[in-house]
Formats: sequence, structure tokens, C-alpha cells
Amino acid sequence: MKTGRWRQWAAKLAQHSAGVMPGARSPWAEAMRRELDYICDDPAALRWALGCVLASYRTRLAYWSSFSFRITWRYAATSGVLMLLIGLALQDHAGGQTQPPRPALDATVCDPLGVLPENHPGLRCCTAGGRRNVDAPDRREFHQPSAGTQPIVPRLDCADPLTPQISDTMRGR
Amino acid sequence: MPRRPNSSRQTRALLGTFLEQSGTWRHGYDLSKETGLRSGTLYPLLMRLSEQGLLEQRWQEAERPGLPPRHVYRLTAAGLALAREQELAAVAAERAGVLA
Repeated sequence: MKTGRWRQWAAKLAQHSAGVMPGARSPWAEAMRRELDYICDDPAALRWALGCVLASYRTRLAYWSSFSFRITWRYAATSGVLMLLIGLALQDHAGGQTQPPRPALDATVCDPLGVLPENHPGLRCCTAGGRRNVDAPDRREFHQPSAGTQPIVPRLDCADPLTPQISDTMRGR
Repeated sequence: MPRRPNSSRQTRALLGTFLEQSGTWRHGYDLSKETGLRSGTLYPLLMRLSEQGLLEQRWQEAERPGLPPRHVYRLTAAGLALAREQELAAVAAERAGVLA
């Protein structure tokens, strides 16, 4: 191999090492590359350039590892703080609550008109369509369509206190 | 037990070389020849010492025309103190070894 070629390889390697070096360290890469011009011996210049490449990769790896550590630490810290805040917010919101919230209307139990089919098997279509007792409208009674003997009396005891409109209406206030 | 920083053999050799001509600006290639460290080892050391504030560097214009400026280095006051401390420790360790 001719000596000129060694020098060319050395220059290429030094250029490569400058590209590998992180941006913040570029003056160092330039410093290593410029030393080549002061090395008269071509094989020594090539050895120097190889060392430059090694130094650049070492620096790059160290930079990556510190960078990824910083990123990981930031993610972990942010996640931890967020989880803490969410936990505190939930604790404040549910302060003192030991039972699950009550449903607003217990539809399975409450049957204010007493017209559910399970309560009155004779009724069909589960409507409150019974005729009002026109003879005594203040009694708030309904006649069953099947003209049974038992009038339908609205059950007001199960009106949900959380739904005052229904309760008031049913109580005729 | 964690190792003391800047106590590796290469770092001590570099600090010792700087200490021999303290206050003088040194080139990377000269340091490499004097310490026997290759550029792949020398420059990461120089970068680390510089980051720690133990080394200062600057660009020096070439003495001969046609050549680019060079990066030159010398120890700061903190670097000099560390180099002297390590030299004393090395001498003490050597004496202790002789006496033992």
C-alpha cells in the first residue's frame, strides 16, 4: 500500500469520527482531526485516525447511555407524580364514602301505581291505563280494565326521595 | 467500595505529564507520545477532565503557515492540585511498599 493512500484513509477515518461525535463535542472531533496535519508519519497518522474513531464511538455511547438514563428517569418521575396526583384526587373525591352510591330510582322495587304484572297478573301491557273513578275522583283510585273487585291504589310509600317531582306528583301536592 | 474518580493508571499518567510542565499548553499528539496513550484513550480522558473543570483548552494558531490551528491543553488550578495530590499519594504508596 502506498503511503499516500494511508494518509487518505486516515483523513476519511478522521472525517467519519467527526460525524460520529455528538454535536456538543464537535470541537473535540475537529481537534483530533487537525492533529493529523501535524503527524508526518503516515502509518502513525492512520493509527491516530483509528484512535479518533474509537474515541468518537466511546463518546457517542457514553452520550447515548446518559441521555437514555435521563429520559427514563424523567418518564418514571412524571408517571409517579401523575399517579400520586390521581390517587390523591380520588381519595379527596371519595372522602368518607364507604358504601357504593345508591341508584336514583329503584325500578325493580318501586311500583307506585301498583300496576306491574308481577303485582297484578290480571293487567296486560303494564300500563297505568286504568280508568279513574269518576264517581270519586279525590280518592285517587283506578278501575282495573278487567273490572275486578280490587281497585288499584297507588302506592306512595316507595316513592324515591331523590326524585321529588315524581313523589310530589304522586302525592298530589 | 467505589473507585476514586480520576485514579486510573491512564489518568494518573496524563496528570503526571501535565504536572511536569505545569502552565505549558500541550498538544494532543505530544501528550499521546509522552504518555504512550493512543488517541482513542487520550481524548476521552481529556474531554472528561475538561468537563470536570480540571483542564482548560483553547485553539492555538499554527507556528508554520499552511497548517490549521491546534487544540492545546493545560491543567487548571484544580487540576494542578489534583495532580500534585495524586503524585504525593503515589510517592507515599511507593515508600510504604519499600518499607514493607
